[in-house]
Amino acid sequence: MSELEFYLFNFGSYPAVPHVDDTERRSLYIDLPNEFYDPIRGQWYLDSYFDTLIFGEKLGFDGICTTTQMGGPIGMTPSSMLPAAYLAARTERIRIVALGPILNTYLSPMRAAEDIALLDNMSGGRLTVGLPMGHGQNWHAAGGMNPAYARQRHWEAHDLMVKAFTEPGPFEWQGEYFHVPYANLWPRPIQKPYPPVWIPAAGSRITFERCARHHYTYQTLFSPRKAMLRNIKSFREVTRQFGYEADPKQVAAVLFIHVAETDAQARLEAEPHLRWVFQNMVRANQYDAFPPGHFSPESLRGFLKGGGYRDRDIGDLTYEELVDEGWALIGSPETVSEQLQGLADELGAGRVVHIADNGAMPNWMVRKSLTLMAEQVIPRFRAPGARPVWAIEDPRPAPTHSQLGAHMGEHPASAVPEVVMPDGERVDLTTAHVAGARDSLPAAP
Amino acid sequence: MMAEAAASTWKHWTEPSFVDVDGLSSAYRRKGDGDVLLYLHGAGLTRAWLPLYDELSHGFDVVVPEHPGFGDTALPDWLTGIDDLVLHYDALLDALGLEHVHLVGHSLGGWIASYLAIFYPHRFDSLTLITPLGLRVPDAPMTDPFRLSPELALNTLLGEQSANYLEYFDRGDETEAMIHAYAESITFARLLWNPRYDVKLDRRLTRIQTPTLVLAAEDDRLIPSAHPKRWAELIPGSELRVVAGTRDEPTGHLVIIQQPEALAELIGSHVHASVAPSSGAETAAR
Repeated sequence: MSELEFYLFNFGSYPAVPHVDDTERRSLYIDLPNEFYDPIRGQWYLDSYFDTLIFGEKLGFDGICTTTQMGGPIGMTPSSMLPAAYLAARTERIRIVALGPILNTYLSPMRAAEDIALLDNMSGGRLTVGLPMGHGQNWHAAGGMNPAYARQRHWEAHDLMVKAFTEPGPFEWQGEYFHVPYANLWPRPIQKPYPPVWIPAAGSRITFERCARHHYTYQTLFSPRKAMLRNIKSFREVTRQFGYEADPKQVAAVLFIHVAETDAQARLEAEPHLRWVFQNMVRANQYDAFPPGHFSPESLRGFLKGGGYRDRDIGDLTYEELVDEGWALIGSPETVSEQLQGLADELGAGRVVHIADNGAMPNWMVRKSLTLMAEQVIPRFRAPGARPVWAIEDPRPAPTHSQLGAHMGEHPASAVPEVVMPDGERVDLTTAHVAGARDSLPAAP
Repeated sequence: MMAEAAASTWKHWTEPSFVDVDGLSSAYRRKGDGDVLLYLHGAGLTRAWLPLYDELSHGFDVVVPEHPGFGDTALPDWLTGIDDLVLHYDALLDALGLEHVHLVGHSLGGWIASYLAIFYPHRFDSLTLITPLGLRVPDAPMTDPFRLSPELALNTLLGEQSANYLEYFDRGDETEAMIHAYAESITFARLLWNPRYDVKLDRRLTRIQTPTLVLAAEDDRLIPSAHPKRWAELIPGSELRVVAGTRDEPTGHLVIIQQPEALAELIGSHVHASVAPSSGAETAAR
């Protein structure tokens, strides 16, 4: 079997909401009154969501993911960064994948760069960051950002962030959308040159070009196998234009997965949840999914004419279609392993984003499925011993004092903290409290 | 605007002319004799010569350009705000060699027209605003124009009898029409996604010196009737008229296709009153 990396992903939905058929616009995005939100229930749904992700480390996943979902019950994490910070504190070594800050919701990309750098430090260098445009429905909740300029503003924000990560500050940025007179990033990220980036995207040309140019990981949206395959193929073609063959690790496929003792049991458990999430959570009106400029007219043409568009409402998909079209892998460990192998071969994907809560499964059911996944499926896709990437090599460059000491020995600081004492002498602050070690430093020029 | 020029066969299609406006090939349609009347369209119903235009052409030399990013005029990178359109139309009039014109604007076109009258007060001999958009009117927001399904759009724009007007929305191949409408909505969003109004208008409209007629609909479900009323209050000496529909069909936001004859007559009377030597009847009335 081919080697795969596994990333645990959940919706974190607030499930106690009306069925879409009972809402005015047949969608839970944007308009569902927040009077349906009960903070006590909500806190516990969030708690379950976090518990499951934290459990991901003990299970042996390679990473755990957070997302940004705004203005509705589909996900209760309006920023991927805050939950990622919490998960970084509650775990030790597993990679934290924040999928991701929507750059257009930031007033300045420097704020996003600061958050990313800070989170990379807080996690000890375990951060992977996704840079999605955000889905169309976000634009009505995202504080008035104009989708008509979204793409250009997004990529200018990206370029400014990358410059802040990689070039000495302060520098001045004079762009179309941002003027930052003093771009000076503090703190700087631990990972060099900056945390790995994933690009979750539907698959417009410009996105593939950017993804390929920067050697980022392309993450599919959850979509049928056919659409994933088409997009991944296009992405690979674009990487070839940039003179290289995409590494399997540069492709992350997003899948609903549910494992149970038998195929029949797995269906019994998963079907109602899958139907619920497709009928309710992911259903969006076309005008909300395609706000003006979210796609270019050319991309829309490709979408409408290239077979990426389905006339049928996504909520009407049958269980058989969900499984046959490759949206979801459901079954015994044996069945799921076979399907996963087939899919990985077909897509050439080296990373799997495993959606485990399928919308809003209870924590105990998710844990059963995930335990079977971890013990009986994942080992088949790993080198003998089945260690996750972070157990093979610690992602943290200096998690202990001894490692810090070694680092300081090898890399003298470029400045020492100095303090002027009452006698006018400047001394080294680090030894200023030790009698006899309070040595005067050379006077400042 | 679209690269693939399939035959345009829908009912109200006519071949546009093109004029170079500071490097932008701008589509327009022109017909009729008399004083020149520049008509600025709303955020749709492009690529057509509407019956209203034809009615107007009986008394005027009617020029109907398509805004940058609408119809067959491409969306230029520089178009990011209403001021860009104001400069564009000043240049378009120069390019067509038109010194003085009468100005009519519907909906989005009304917003543009008002700014032309604000910034070029000597160029326009009269101004007619039909169900204009752009003002912030407390407690009477515009219906969100970016969240309309085709069905909801018809109802919002035309009310219960919208089925009578489907021919005006036919643009041939459905997919291409959808893509074209999407492209136009991008231009519209550049101008008006957020905020969905122009706070500067309140002060600026009071500078308009051109004789102005504001035309409202009876049942405008896109822009509440409080809006035209407010426009008329702010523009000095302006007159507010409500365009009447029929018993079964009150006029709506697209009064331009519901009542083209009545509308042309109202515009004609206003224009003639504006240029008559003893003009200023509206002004005097206030």
